[in-house]
Amino acid sequence: MYLLEELSQKYKRISIVGMAKNAGKTTALNYLIEEAMDEGIALGVTSTGRDGEGTDVVTGTDKPRVFLDTDTIVSVPTQLYELADAGLEIVKMTEYGSSLGQIMLCRVVSSGYVQVAGPVINAQHIKMCEEMIRLGAQLVLIDGAIDRKSIAAPGTSDAIILSTGAVLSRKMSRVVEETAHTVNLYRLPCLEDGRERELLTGESENILLIRDGELVALDLNTGLGAGRFLDAKIDDKVSHIYVPGAFTQSIVSDINPKKLKNVTFVLKDPTKIFIGATMWNQFRKKGLTVKVLENINVAAITVNPTSPGGYSFDHESLLNAMQEAIPDIPVLDVRM
Amino acid sequence: MAECNTAVAQIDLTKVKPYGDTLNDGMTEVAFTLPVPYGDEANEAAKILAKKMGLDEPNVVYAKEMTKEYTFFVVYGKCQHTVDYTTIKVAKVDVDVMDRLECAEYIKENIKRPVVIVGASTGTDAHTVGIDAIMNMKGFHGHFGLERYEGIEAYNLGSQVPNEDLIAKAKEVHADAILVSQTVTQKDIHIENLTNMVELLEAEGMRDKVILVCGGPRISHELAQELGYDAGFGQHKYAEDVASFVLTEIVNRNMI
Repeated sequence: MYLLEELSQKYKRISIVGMAKNAGKTTALNYLIEEAMDEGIALGVTSTGRDGEGTDVVTGTDKPRVFLDTDTIVSVPTQLYELADAGLEIVKMTEYGSSLGQIMLCRVVSSGYVQVAGPVINAQHIKMCEEMIRLGAQLVLIDGAIDRKSIAAPGTSDAIILSTGAVLSRKMSRVVEETAHTVNLYRLPCLEDGRERELLTGESENILLIRDGELVALDLNTGLGAGRFLDAKIDDKVSHIYVPGAFTQSIVSDINPKKLKNVTFVLKDPTKIFIGATMWNQFRKKGLTVKVLENINVAAITVNPTSPGGYSFDHESLLNAMQEAIPDIPVLDVRM
Repeated sequence: MAECNTAVAQIDLTKVKPYGDTLNDGMTEVAFTLPVPYGDEANEAAKILAKKMGLDEPNVVYAKEMTKEYTFFVVYGKCQHTVDYTTIKVAKVDVDVMDRLECAEYIKENIKRPVVIVGASTGTDAHTVGIDAIMNMKGFHGHFGLERYEGIEAYNLGSQVPNEDLIAKAKEVHADAILVSQTVTQKDIHIENLTNMVELLEAEGMRDKVILVCGGPRISHELAQELGYDAGFGQHKYAEDVASFVLTEIVNRNMI
Protein backbone atom coordinates (compact mmCIF):
# COMPACT_ATOMS: atom_id res chain seq x y z
CA MET A 1 0.00 0.00 0.00
CA TYR A 2 1.39 3.36 -0.96
CA LEU A 3 0.44 5.49 1.95
CA LEU A 4 2.96 8.24 1.66
CA GLU A 5 2.39 9.34 -1.91
CA GLU A 6 -1.18 10.27 -1.15
CA LEU A 7 -0.31 11.85 2.19
CA SER A 8 2.47 14.03 0.80
CA GLN A 9 0.10 15.55 -1.74
CA LYS A 10 -2.45 16.51 0.90
CA TYR A 11 -0.35 17.40 3.93
CA LYS A 12 2.85 19.21 4.92
CA ARG A 13 3.22 17.95 8.49
CA ILE A 14 2.21 14.56 9.82
CA SER A 15 2.45 13.49 13.46
CA ILE A 16 2.78 9.88 14.48
CA VAL A 17 0.80 9.59 17.69
CA GLY A 18 0.93 6.56 19.95
CA MET A 19 -1.91 5.16 22.02
CA ALA A 20 0.78 3.89 24.40
CA LYS A 21 4.45 3.26 24.66
CA ASN A 22 5.66 0.42 22.40
CA ALA A 23 2.62 0.72 20.15
CA GLY A 24 4.89 0.88 17.10
CA LYS A 25 5.39 4.59 16.41
CA THR A 26 8.99 4.29 15.31
CA THR A 27 8.18 1.24 13.18
CA ALA A 28 5.50 3.32 11.48
CA LEU A 29 8.02 6.14 11.04
CA ASN A 30 10.53 3.75 9.44
CA TYR A 31 7.85 2.44 7.10
CA LEU A 32 7.11 5.98 5.91
CA ILE A 33 10.81 6.80 5.59
CA GLU A 34 11.27 3.73 3.40
CA GLU A 35 8.36 4.73 1.18
CA ALA A 36 9.78 8.22 0.91
CA MET A 37 13.11 6.79 -0.31
CA ASP A 38 11.28 4.81 -3.00
CA GLU A 39 9.22 7.80 -4.05
CA GLY A 40 12.05 10.31 -3.86
CA ILE A 41 10.25 12.59 -1.45
CA ALA A 42 12.51 14.86 0.65
CA LEU A 43 11.54 14.39 4.26
CA GLY A 44 11.95 16.36 7.43
CA VAL A 45 12.18 14.08 10.46
CA THR A 46 11.81 15.13 14.08
CA SER A 47 10.60 13.68 17.36
CA THR A 48 8.99 15.00 20.54
CA GLY A 49 10.93 12.38 22.43
CA ARG A 50 13.99 10.55 21.26
CA ASP A 51 14.28 8.05 18.44
CA GLY A 52 16.86 5.69 17.10
CA GLU A 53 18.68 4.76 20.31
CA GLY A 54 19.39 1.06 20.70
CA THR A 55 17.48 0.38 23.89
CA ASP A 56 14.51 2.05 25.47
CA VAL A 57 15.14 4.26 28.54
CA VAL A 58 11.91 3.14 30.19
CA THR A 59 11.52 -0.56 29.46
CA GLY A 60 15.05 -1.55 28.49
CA THR A 61 13.69 -3.33 25.41
CA ASP A 62 15.22 -3.07 21.95
CA LYS A 63 14.06 -0.17 19.87
CA PRO A 64 14.04 0.11 16.11
CA ARG A 65 16.84 2.33 14.80
CA VAL A 66 16.17 5.11 12.33
CA PHE A 67 17.93 5.08 8.95
CA LEU A 68 17.82 8.32 6.98
CA ASP A 69 18.50 8.89 3.30
CA THR A 70 20.56 11.77 1.91
CA ASP A 71 18.92 15.20 1.81
CA THR A 72 16.63 14.45 4.74
CA ILE A 73 16.37 17.38 7.14
CA VAL A 74 16.57 16.13 10.71
CA SER A 75 16.61 17.62 14.21
CA VAL A 76 19.46 16.38 16.40
CA PRO A 77 20.45 17.67 19.85
CA THR A 78 24.14 18.36 20.44
CA GLN A 79 24.65 15.39 22.78
CA LEU A 80 23.34 12.93 20.18
CA TYR A 81 25.22 14.38 17.21
CA GLU A 82 28.34 12.27 17.75
CA LEU A 83 26.27 9.10 18.01
CA ALA A 84 24.95 9.40 14.46
CA ASP A 85 26.50 7.06 11.95
CA ALA A 86 25.14 9.05 9.01
CA GLY A 87 27.05 12.04 7.71
CA LEU A 88 25.31 15.14 9.01
CA GLU A 89 25.81 18.69 7.84
CA ILE A 90 24.76 21.17 10.51
CA VAL A 91 22.56 23.69 8.79
CA LYS A 92 21.39 25.65 11.75
CA MET A 93 21.67 25.87 15.51
CA THR A 94 18.14 26.53 16.76
CA GLU A 95 17.28 28.48 19.88
CA TYR A 96 15.43 25.46 21.30
CA GLY A 97 17.01 23.62 24.16
CA SER A 98 16.36 20.09 25.32
CA SER A 99 17.63 17.93 28.11
CA LEU A 100 19.98 16.36 25.56
CA GLY A 101 21.43 19.68 24.50
CA GLN A 102 20.60 22.47 22.09
CA ILE A 103 18.64 21.26 19.04
CA MET A 104 20.41 21.51 15.67
CA LEU A 105 18.86 21.20 12.24
CA CYS A 106 20.99 18.97 10.05
CA ARG A 107 20.97 17.81 6.46
CA VAL A 108 21.91 14.18 5.85
CA VAL A 109 24.82 14.12 3.36
CA SER A 110 25.60 10.43 3.55
CA SER A 111 22.83 8.08 4.55
CA GLY A 112 22.94 6.12 7.78
CA TYR A 113 21.51 5.69 11.27
CA VAL A 114 20.67 8.81 13.25
CA GLN A 115 19.40 9.41 16.76
CA VAL A 116 16.63 11.95 16.44
CA ALA A 117 15.22 14.25 19.11
CA GLY A 118 13.40 17.56 18.98
CA PRO A 119 11.98 20.19 21.29
CA VAL A 120 9.63 18.89 23.97
CA ILE A 121 7.36 21.93 23.80
CA ASN A 122 4.71 21.93 21.06
CA ALA A 123 4.88 25.67 20.44
CA GLN A 124 8.57 25.28 19.60
CA HIS A 125 7.85 22.27 17.40
CA ILE A 126 5.48 24.28 15.26
CA LYS A 127 8.14 26.91 14.58
CA MET A 128 10.84 24.34 13.94
CA CYS A 129 8.69 22.43 11.40
CA GLU A 130 8.27 25.65 9.43
CA GLU A 131 12.03 26.00 9.27
CA MET A 132 12.40 22.40 8.09
CA ILE A 133 9.99 23.11 5.26
CA ARG A 134 11.93 26.27 4.36
CA LEU A 135 15.09 24.18 4.25
CA GLY A 136 13.55 21.97 1.59
CA ALA A 137 11.54 19.25 3.34
CA GLN A 138 8.48 18.40 1.25
CA LEU A 139 6.88 16.57 4.16
CA VAL A 140 7.73 16.72 7.86
CA LEU A 141 7.19 13.64 10.00
CA ILE A 142 6.92 14.24 13.75
CA ASP A 143 7.35 11.12 15.83
CA GLY A 144 5.57 11.21 19.17
CA ALA A 145 6.82 9.97 22.53
CA ILE A 146 5.23 7.44 24.89
CA ASP A 147 1.49 8.24 24.88
CA ARG A 148 1.85 12.00 24.54
CA LYS A 149 -1.03 12.91 22.28
CA SER A 150 -0.90 16.71 22.33
CA ILE A 151 1.13 16.71 19.08
CA ALA A 152 -2.08 15.59 17.37
CA ALA A 153 -3.45 19.13 17.83
CA PRO A 154 -4.45 20.74 14.52
CA GLY A 155 -1.98 23.57 15.08
CA THR A 156 0.97 21.20 15.29
CA SER A 157 0.29 18.91 12.35
CA ASP A 158 -2.08 18.68 9.40
CA ALA A 159 -2.87 15.01 9.90
CA ILE A 160 -1.88 12.18 12.18
CA ILE A 161 -1.09 8.52 11.99
CA LEU A 162 -2.34 6.74 15.08
CA SER A 163 -0.21 3.83 16.27
CA THR A 164 -1.88 1.29 18.49
CA GLY A 165 -1.20 -2.26 19.52
CA ALA A 166 -1.33 -5.18 21.87
CA VAL A 167 0.60 -3.25 24.53
CA LEU A 168 -2.64 -1.46 25.47
CA SER A 169 -4.30 -4.51 26.96
CA ARG A 170 -4.20 -8.29 27.04
CA LYS A 171 -7.78 -8.25 25.77
CA MET A 172 -8.06 -7.55 22.06
CA SER A 173 -11.56 -6.13 22.44
CA ARG A 174 -10.21 -3.52 24.83
CA VAL A 175 -7.39 -2.54 22.45
CA VAL A 176 -9.97 -2.00 19.72
CA GLU A 177 -12.37 -0.15 22.04
CA GLU A 178 -9.73 2.25 23.40
CA THR A 179 -8.41 2.98 19.92
CA ALA A 180 -11.87 3.51 18.46
CA HIS A 181 -12.64 5.86 21.36
CA THR A 182 -9.60 8.01 20.58
CA VAL A 183 -10.42 8.06 16.86
CA ASN A 184 -14.02 9.01 17.60
CA LEU A 185 -12.89 11.82 19.89
CA TYR A 186 -10.56 13.09 17.16
CA ARG A 187 -13.51 13.17 14.79
CA LEU A 188 -15.95 14.88 17.14
CA PRO A 189 -18.39 17.13 15.31
CA CYS A 190 -17.21 20.68 14.71
CA LEU A 191 -19.39 23.50 15.93
CA GLU A 192 -21.54 24.50 12.95
CA ASP A 193 -20.91 27.82 11.20
CA GLY A 194 -23.18 30.43 12.65
CA ARG A 195 -23.53 32.97 15.39
CA GLU A 196 -22.26 30.70 18.17
CA ARG A 197 -19.12 29.82 16.26
CA GLU A 198 -18.45 33.46 15.52
CA LEU A 199 -18.85 34.35 19.19
CA LEU A 200 -16.52 31.62 20.40
CA THR A 201 -13.80 31.73 17.76
CA GLY A 202 -11.77 34.57 19.34
CA GLU A 203 -8.51 33.69 21.03
CA SER A 204 -10.03 33.84 24.48
CA GLU A 205 -8.02 32.48 27.38
CA ASN A 206 -11.02 32.58 29.67
CA ILE A 207 -13.98 30.27 29.96
CA LEU A 208 -16.87 31.69 27.94
CA LEU A 209 -20.62 31.13 28.20
CA ILE A 210 -23.32 31.83 25.66
CA ARG A 211 -26.27 32.95 27.73
CA ASP A 212 -29.46 33.95 25.93
CA GLY A 213 -27.47 34.35 22.71
CA GLU A 214 -25.01 36.75 24.36
CA LEU A 215 -21.35 36.11 25.14
CA VAL A 216 -20.36 36.12 28.83
CA ALA A 217 -16.66 35.85 29.74
CA LEU A 218 -16.05 34.29 33.14
CA ASP A 219 -13.21 35.49 35.32
CA LEU A 220 -11.71 32.03 35.12
CA ASN A 221 -8.91 30.83 32.86
CA THR A 222 -8.98 27.14 33.63
CA GLY A 223 -11.63 24.53 34.21
CA LEU A 224 -9.25 22.51 36.37
CA GLY A 225 -10.56 22.34 39.90
CA ALA A 226 -13.37 24.73 38.97
CA GLY A 227 -16.27 22.35 38.22
CA ARG A 228 -18.38 23.58 41.15
CA PHE A 229 -17.81 27.22 40.29
CA LEU A 230 -18.83 26.47 36.73
CA ASP A 231 -21.89 24.59 37.92
CA ALA A 232 -23.02 27.65 39.86
CA LYS A 233 -22.76 29.80 36.72
CA ILE A 234 -24.95 27.56 34.59
CA ASP A 235 -28.65 28.42 34.57
CA ASP A 236 -31.33 27.39 32.09
CA LYS A 237 -30.47 30.25 29.72
CA VAL A 238 -26.92 29.05 29.13
CA SER A 239 -26.62 27.09 25.89
CA HIS A 240 -22.84 26.79 25.26
CA ILE A 241 -19.74 26.66 27.44
CA TYR A 242 -16.34 27.23 25.86
CA VAL A 243 -13.42 25.70 27.77
CA PRO A 244 -10.08 26.88 26.34
CA GLY A 245 -7.89 24.36 28.16
CA ALA A 246 -8.03 20.79 29.38
CA PHE A 247 -11.42 19.10 29.64
CA THR A 248 -11.22 16.51 32.41
CA GLN A 249 -13.42 14.14 34.32
CA SER A 250 -13.43 16.37 37.41
CA ILE A 251 -14.96 19.27 35.48
CA VAL A 252 -17.86 17.19 34.22
CA SER A 253 -18.48 15.28 37.47
CA ASP A 254 -19.06 18.48 39.43
CA ILE A 255 -21.81 19.66 37.14
CA ASN A 256 -25.39 18.87 38.05
CA PRO A 257 -26.69 16.18 35.61
CA LYS A 258 -29.86 18.16 34.94
CA LYS A 259 -27.83 21.15 33.78
CA LEU A 260 -25.45 18.95 31.85
CA LYS A 261 -28.21 17.87 29.47
CA ASN A 262 -29.01 21.38 28.36
CA VAL A 263 -25.60 22.73 27.47
CA THR A 264 -23.06 22.07 24.74
CA PHE A 265 -19.40 22.15 25.69
CA VAL A 266 -17.18 23.68 23.05
CA LEU A 267 -13.45 22.91 22.99
CA LYS A 268 -10.64 24.18 20.84
CA ASP A 269 -9.72 20.72 19.56
CA PRO A 270 -10.03 17.10 20.69
CA THR A 271 -6.57 16.91 22.31
CA LYS A 272 -8.06 18.89 25.18
CA ILE A 273 -10.13 15.89 26.27
CA PHE A 274 -8.72 13.84 29.15
CA ILE A 275 -11.53 11.37 29.75
CA GLY A 276 -11.17 7.61 29.25
CA ALA A 277 -13.51 5.49 27.13
CA THR A 278 -15.61 4.14 30.01
CA MET A 279 -16.18 7.48 31.74
CA TRP A 280 -16.84 9.16 28.41
CA ASN A 281 -19.63 6.72 27.60
CA GLN A 282 -21.14 7.17 31.06
CA PHE A 283 -21.12 10.94 30.65
CA ARG A 284 -22.63 10.60 27.18
CA LYS A 285 -25.50 8.61 28.67
CA LYS A 286 -26.04 11.39 31.19
CA GLY A 287 -26.39 13.81 28.29
CA LEU A 288 -22.93 15.31 27.82
CA THR A 289 -22.58 17.02 24.44
CA VAL A 290 -19.17 18.16 23.23
CA LYS A 291 -18.27 19.96 20.04
CA VAL A 292 -14.92 21.30 18.87
CA LEU A 293 -13.78 24.27 16.84
CA GLU A 294 -11.35 22.12 14.88
CA ASN A 295 -10.97 18.36 14.71
CA ILE A 296 -8.14 16.08 13.70
CA ASN A 297 -7.49 14.24 10.42
CA VAL A 298 -6.61 10.66 11.17
CA ALA A 299 -4.88 9.60 7.94
CA ALA A 300 -4.18 6.01 8.93
CA ILE A 301 -4.03 3.63 11.87
CA THR A 302 -1.14 1.24 12.38
CA VAL A 303 -1.44 -1.82 14.59
CA ASN A 304 1.28 -3.79 16.36
CA PRO A 305 -0.03 -7.23 17.40
CA THR A 306 2.95 -7.92 19.70
CA SER A 307 3.44 -6.52 23.19
CA PRO A 308 6.82 -6.30 24.92
CA GLY A 309 4.92 -7.78 27.89
CA GLY A 310 5.38 -11.13 26.16
CA TYR A 311 2.01 -11.79 24.52
CA SER A 312 0.63 -11.22 21.07
CA PHE A 313 -2.56 -11.41 19.05
CA ASP A 314 -3.17 -13.00 15.69
CA HIS A 315 -2.21 -10.44 13.01
CA GLU A 316 -5.25 -10.98 10.84
CA SER A 317 -7.84 -10.94 13.61
CA LEU A 318 -6.51 -7.72 15.17
CA LEU A 319 -6.33 -6.06 11.78
CA ASN A 320 -9.87 -7.13 10.91
CA ALA A 321 -11.36 -6.24 14.29
CA MET A 322 -9.79 -2.78 14.10
CA GLN A 323 -10.93 -2.21 10.53
CA GLU A 324 -14.46 -3.28 11.46
CA ALA A 325 -14.58 -0.83 14.38
CA ILE A 326 -13.15 2.00 12.26
CA PRO A 327 -14.31 1.22 8.72
CA ASP A 328 -13.42 4.45 6.93
CA ILE A 329 -9.75 4.87 7.88
CA PRO A 330 -7.05 2.59 6.46
CA VAL A 331 -5.68 0.21 9.09
CA LEU A 332 -2.33 -1.40 8.43
CA ASP A 333 0.20 -3.61 10.06
CA VAL A 334 3.44 -1.88 9.11
CA ARG A 335 5.54 -4.95 9.77
CA MET A 336 3.78 -7.06 7.19
CA MET B 1 62.94 1.54 50.10
CA ALA B 2 62.29 -1.95 48.88
CA GLU B 3 60.92 -2.13 45.42
CA CYS B 4 57.65 -3.91 44.93
CA ASN B 5 58.20 -6.62 42.38
CA THR B 6 54.84 -8.35 42.55
CA ALA B 7 52.96 -8.42 39.27
CA VAL B 8 50.25 -5.80 39.51
CA ALA B 9 47.23 -6.14 37.31
CA GLN B 10 46.65 -3.01 35.29
CA ILE B 11 43.31 -1.25 35.37
CA ASP B 12 41.86 -1.51 31.88
CA LEU B 13 38.97 0.93 31.60
CA THR B 14 37.68 -0.79 28.48
CA LYS B 15 37.12 -4.00 30.47
CA VAL B 16 36.03 -3.02 33.96
CA LYS B 17 35.14 -5.82 36.40
CA PRO B 18 34.14 -5.85 40.08
CA TYR B 19 36.97 -5.63 42.61
CA GLY B 20 36.77 -8.03 45.54
CA ASP B 21 39.99 -9.17 47.14
CA THR B 22 42.17 -8.39 44.15
CA LEU B 23 41.77 -6.34 41.01
CA ASN B 24 39.56 -7.94 38.35
CA ASP B 25 38.61 -10.97 40.42
CA GLY B 26 34.99 -10.10 39.67
CA MET B 27 33.74 -10.91 43.18
CA THR B 28 30.08 -10.00 43.47
CA GLU B 29 27.46 -10.41 46.15
CA VAL B 30 23.79 -10.79 45.34
CA ALA B 31 20.77 -11.25 47.61
CA PHE B 32 17.35 -12.56 46.64
CA THR B 33 14.40 -14.65 47.78
CA LEU B 34 13.02 -17.71 45.99
CA PRO B 35 9.56 -19.16 46.54
CA VAL B 36 10.91 -22.60 47.47
CA PRO B 37 11.21 -24.43 50.85
CA TYR B 38 14.52 -24.09 52.73
CA GLY B 39 16.92 -26.99 52.11
CA ASP B 40 19.64 -28.40 49.87
CA GLU B 41 17.49 -28.21 46.77
CA ALA B 42 16.87 -24.55 47.49
CA ASN B 43 20.62 -23.85 47.75
CA GLU B 44 21.18 -25.63 44.47
CA ALA B 45 18.43 -23.55 42.84
CA ALA B 46 20.09 -20.36 44.08
CA LYS B 47 23.45 -21.49 42.65
CA ILE B 48 21.96 -22.33 39.26
CA LEU B 49 20.23 -18.98 39.14
CA ALA B 50 23.46 -17.17 40.07
CA LYS B 51 25.26 -18.99 37.26
CA LYS B 52 22.60 -17.81 34.85
CA MET B 53 23.21 -14.28 36.12
CA GLY B 54 26.78 -14.68 34.91
CA LEU B 55 28.43 -15.47 38.27
CA ASP B 56 31.13 -18.13 38.09
CA GLU B 57 31.75 -20.44 41.05
CA PRO B 58 28.63 -19.36 42.92
CA ASN B 59 28.74 -19.89 46.65
CA VAL B 60 25.67 -19.67 48.89
CA VAL B 61 27.08 -18.02 51.99
CA TYR B 62 23.77 -17.51 53.74
CA ALA B 63 20.31 -19.05 53.43
CA LYS B 64 17.38 -18.57 55.75
CA GLU B 65 13.75 -19.59 55.70
CA MET B 66 11.73 -16.35 55.42
CA THR B 67 8.42 -18.06 56.05
CA LYS B 68 7.16 -21.47 55.05
CA GLU B 69 7.99 -22.21 51.42
CA TYR B 70 10.20 -19.10 50.97
CA THR B 71 13.98 -18.91 51.32
CA PHE B 72 16.30 -15.90 51.35
CA PHE B 73 19.83 -16.24 49.98
CA VAL B 74 23.09 -14.35 49.89
CA VAL B 75 25.30 -15.66 47.10
CA TYR B 76 28.91 -14.81 46.21
CA GLY B 77 30.34 -15.44 42.78
CA LYS B 78 32.79 -14.19 40.20
CA CYS B 79 31.24 -11.93 37.59
CA GLN B 80 32.19 -12.99 34.06
CA HIS B 81 31.11 -9.79 32.36
CA THR B 82 33.00 -6.59 31.79
CA VAL B 83 31.98 -3.06 30.98
CA ASP B 84 33.67 -0.67 28.57
CA TYR B 85 33.79 2.41 30.75
CA THR B 86 35.38 4.60 28.07
CA THR B 87 32.35 4.51 25.75
CA ILE B 88 29.74 5.43 28.37
CA LYS B 89 27.86 8.67 27.78
CA VAL B 90 25.34 9.95 30.30
CA ALA B 91 23.07 12.90 29.59
CA LYS B 92 23.50 15.40 32.37
CA VAL B 93 21.93 18.71 33.26
CA ASP B 94 24.39 21.06 31.64
CA VAL B 95 24.47 24.04 33.96
CA ASP B 96 26.93 25.65 36.36
CA VAL B 97 25.68 24.86 39.84
CA MET B 98 25.44 27.89 42.10
CA ASP B 99 25.08 27.66 45.88
CA ARG B 100 22.19 29.22 47.79
CA LEU B 101 23.76 32.65 48.16
CA GLU B 102 24.97 32.75 44.57
CA CYS B 103 21.42 31.90 43.46
CA ALA B 104 20.07 34.84 45.46
CA GLU B 105 22.68 37.08 43.86
CA TYR B 106 21.85 35.71 40.39
CA ILE B 107 18.15 36.50 40.89
CA LYS B 108 18.94 40.04 42.03
CA GLU B 109 21.20 40.73 39.10
CA ASN B 110 19.52 38.92 36.24
CA ILE B 111 15.86 38.32 37.02
CA LYS B 112 15.08 41.24 39.34
CA ARG B 113 11.81 39.83 40.65
CA PRO B 114 10.77 36.94 42.91
CA VAL B 115 10.89 33.54 41.21
CA VAL B 116 7.85 31.36 41.94
CA ILE B 117 8.31 27.59 42.15
CA VAL B 118 5.50 25.12 42.82
CA GLY B 119 6.18 21.48 43.60
CA ALA B 120 4.41 18.30 44.65
CA SER B 121 4.59 14.56 44.73
CA THR B 122 1.81 13.72 42.32
CA GLY B 123 -0.69 11.01 41.50
CA THR B 124 -0.85 8.01 43.81
CA ASP B 125 2.62 8.65 45.21
CA ALA B 126 2.34 9.27 48.95
CA HIS B 127 6.04 9.90 49.51
CA THR B 128 7.14 13.44 50.23
CA VAL B 129 10.78 12.65 50.92
CA GLY B 130 11.90 13.74 47.44
CA ILE B 131 10.02 16.99 47.13
CA ASP B 132 10.73 17.85 50.78
CA ALA B 133 14.46 17.34 50.27
CA ILE B 134 14.39 19.92 47.49
CA MET B 135 11.83 22.39 48.83
CA ASN B 136 11.61 22.30 52.63
CA MET B 137 13.50 24.91 54.58
CA LYS B 138 15.64 22.39 56.41
CA GLY B 139 16.50 20.59 53.19
CA PHE B 140 18.44 17.34 53.12
CA HIS B 141 21.95 16.21 53.93
CA GLY B 142 23.07 19.69 54.89
CA HIS B 143 21.71 21.24 51.70
CA PHE B 144 19.01 23.79 52.54
CA GLY B 145 15.76 23.64 50.55
CA LEU B 146 14.26 26.22 48.20
CA GLU B 147 12.08 27.72 50.96
CA ARG B 148 15.23 29.19 52.45
CA TYR B 149 16.42 30.77 49.19
CA GLU B 150 16.21 34.53 49.03
CA GLY B 151 14.25 35.62 46.00
CA ILE B 152 12.43 32.31 45.56
CA GLU B 153 8.80 31.86 46.56
CA ALA B 154 8.40 28.12 47.05
CA TYR B 155 5.09 26.30 47.38
CA ASN B 156 5.28 22.66 48.42
CA LEU B 157 1.86 21.06 48.00
CA GLY B 158 2.84 17.73 49.58
CA SER B 159 1.95 14.26 48.38
CA GLN B 160 -0.79 12.56 46.37
CA VAL B 161 -1.58 15.80 44.57
CA PRO B 162 -3.61 15.29 41.39
CA ASN B 163 -1.92 16.79 38.33
CA GLU B 164 -4.95 19.02 37.83
CA ASP B 165 -4.60 20.57 41.29
CA LEU B 166 -0.91 21.19 40.79
CA ILE B 167 -1.61 22.99 37.52
CA ALA B 168 -4.46 25.03 39.04
CA LYS B 169 -2.10 26.15 41.82
CA ALA B 170 0.67 26.98 39.33
CA LYS B 171 -1.80 29.14 37.41
CA GLU B 172 -3.03 30.84 40.56
CA VAL B 173 0.42 31.89 41.76
CA HIS B 174 1.87 32.46 38.25
CA ALA B 175 4.58 29.88 38.73
CA ASP B 176 7.82 30.12 36.76
CA ALA B 177 8.65 26.49 37.39
CA ILE B 178 6.80 23.32 38.36
CA LEU B 179 8.62 20.50 40.15
CA VAL B 180 7.07 17.03 39.96
CA SER B 181 8.37 14.33 42.27
CA GLN B 182 7.85 10.59 41.88
CA THR B 183 9.48 8.51 44.59
CA VAL B 184 7.92 5.08 44.84
CA THR B 185 5.97 3.81 41.88
CA GLN B 186 4.81 0.43 40.68
CA LYS B 187 4.58 -0.92 37.16
CA ASP B 188 5.84 2.29 35.61
CA ILE B 189 2.77 4.21 36.77
CA HIS B 190 5.08 7.22 37.22
CA ILE B 191 5.61 7.32 33.46
CA GLU B 192 1.88 7.56 32.79
CA ASN B 193 1.46 10.13 35.52
CA LEU B 194 4.34 12.28 34.29
CA THR B 195 3.19 12.28 30.67
CA ASN B 196 -0.37 13.09 31.74
CA MET B 197 1.04 16.20 33.46
CA VAL B 198 2.80 17.33 30.26
CA GLU B 199 -0.32 16.73 28.18
CA LEU B 200 -2.52 18.70 30.59
CA LEU B 201 -0.06 21.60 30.52
CA GLU B 202 -0.04 21.54 26.71
CA ALA B 203 -3.85 21.51 26.67
CA GLU B 204 -3.93 24.42 29.08
CA GLY B 205 -1.56 26.33 26.81
CA MET B 206 0.96 26.63 29.65
CA ARG B 207 3.74 24.31 28.62
CA ASP B 208 5.88 26.98 26.94
CA LYS B 209 5.31 29.40 29.83
CA VAL B 210 6.73 27.26 32.62
CA ILE B 211 9.91 25.35 33.30
CA LEU B 212 8.93 21.79 33.97
CA VAL B 213 11.20 19.60 36.05
CA CYS B 214 10.77 16.05 37.28
CA GLY B 215 12.71 14.21 39.93
CA GLY B 216 12.98 10.92 41.76
CA PRO B 217 15.18 7.86 42.11
CA ARG B 218 13.97 6.36 38.84
CA ILE B 219 14.21 9.59 36.87
CA SER B 220 17.17 10.45 34.70
CA HIS B 221 17.90 13.46 32.58
CA GLU B 222 17.69 11.23 29.51
CA LEU B 223 14.20 10.08 30.44
CA ALA B 224 13.11 13.72 30.81
CA GLN B 225 13.45 14.20 27.03
CA GLU B 226 11.19 11.22 26.32
CA LEU B 227 8.64 12.38 28.87
CA GLY B 228 8.58 15.97 27.66
CA TYR B 229 10.23 17.65 30.65
CA ASP B 230 12.92 20.33 30.57
CA ALA B 231 15.11 18.45 33.02
CA GLY B 232 15.15 15.36 35.20
CA PHE B 233 16.99 15.00 38.49
CA GLY B 234 17.85 11.59 39.94
CA GLN B 235 19.50 10.63 43.21
CA HIS B 236 22.15 12.78 44.89
CA LYS B 237 20.78 16.03 43.52
CA TYR B 238 19.91 18.85 45.87
CA ALA B 239 18.03 22.14 45.95
CA GLU B 240 20.99 24.07 44.50
CA ASP B 241 21.08 21.81 41.43
CA VAL B 242 17.39 22.37 40.77
CA ALA B 243 17.52 26.09 41.57
CA SER B 244 20.55 26.68 39.35
CA PHE B 245 18.85 24.95 36.44
CA VAL B 246 15.55 26.80 36.87
CA LEU B 247 17.18 30.22 37.24
CA THR B 248 19.52 29.76 34.28
CA GLU B 249 16.64 28.49 32.17
CA ILE B 250 14.47 31.50 33.09
CA VAL B 251 17.19 33.75 31.72
CA ASN B 252 17.90 31.55 28.66
CA ARG B 253 14.26 31.36 27.73
CA ASN B 254 13.83 35.06 28.33
CA MET B 255 11.07 34.63 30.91
CA ILE B 256 12.30 37.59 32.96
